[in-house]
Amino acid sequence: MTFSSLRWGDGVIAALASGVVVAAFALAYLPDSEASMLVITQTGEPPRQEPLDRAREIEIQGPAGVTRVQIEPGRARCADSPGTRNICENSGWLQRHGEVAVSLPNRLTLQVQGHGPGYDSLHY
Amino acid sequence: MTTSFPDTLTPRDRAIAALAAIAIGVQVLEAAIPSPVPGIKPGLANIVTLIALLTLGWRAAVAVTLIRVVGAALLLGTLLSPAFWLSLAGALAALAALGLLRPLTPRHVGALGLAIAAAMAHITGQFLLAWGVIIPHPNLPLVLPPLLLAALITGSVTGILAAHVLADPRIQRHVRLARHP
Repeated sequence: MTFSSLRWGDGVIAALASGVVVAAFALAYLPDSEASMLVITQTGEPPRQEPLDRAREIEIQGPAGVTRVQIEPGRARCADSPGTRNICENSGWLQRHGEVAVSLPNRLTLQVQGHGPGYDSLHY
Repeated sequence: MTTSFPDTLTPRDRAIAALAAIAIGVQVLEAAIPSPVPGIKPGLANIVTLIALLTLGWRAAVAVTLIRVVGAALLLGTLLSPAFWLSLAGALAALAALGLLRPLTPRHVGALGLAIAAAMAHITGQFLLAWGVIIPHPNLPLVLPPLLLAALITGSVTGILAAHVLADPRIQRHVRLARHP
């Protein structure tokens, strides 16, 4: 008997391992916690909550100008902000629980919140 | 050099020592290869563990692997550092998986299946240690799927390589002494 030839168990293990990989990707990355609320926190102001139920735009006056926030069902984004490096805009659509966009010139953060298992932030 | 060894040294002991030395060499060489992604490396030293398992048995595989983990850590200067504990956790998890599959070898499961199972167990063990102790961050599970995918690929590669090594006539001359319980 040689060691090199494939056995049926090899195929079973390879299939099981592939299944584990696919399941892990699905569990980790499928959107499991839709955002339902946008929390706007600005220095010196009480936190403000906007439900993500219908499309609309709100404008927030800050020390550096106006931050325009675009809201759609289930997501929100910073559409325009006075920061010159467009950090707030580049955060893109916030749609999973805990995602956040920050405008430092206007001293405000936008964070969407949902239900269920989410996470606060992600750092690299 | 030979006089310092006790007479009780069996050919099996010498084979374990030789395999462990090869495994340490492979792991040290592999540490010199820059990895495109931190945390992902081929794990070529696991080929030696597989060969030890398939030729000398599971206990020899445990011995070879533990000697390899400690020996490579000594040479790389990572002994008792987080890298060492991660290496040890992965090795122990992989050995546990190999121990579970041992009754099926070599009749039902070959080197490829063993290597894939060991690689998946290896990264899982490392991940659990990293998540539980070193970086207990709630978001760490998000990095697990890519790591598992990498383990599937590297495990397949090491399994194929191990099968090729075992099929080599130059190796088979040596592995005949094995087939221990």
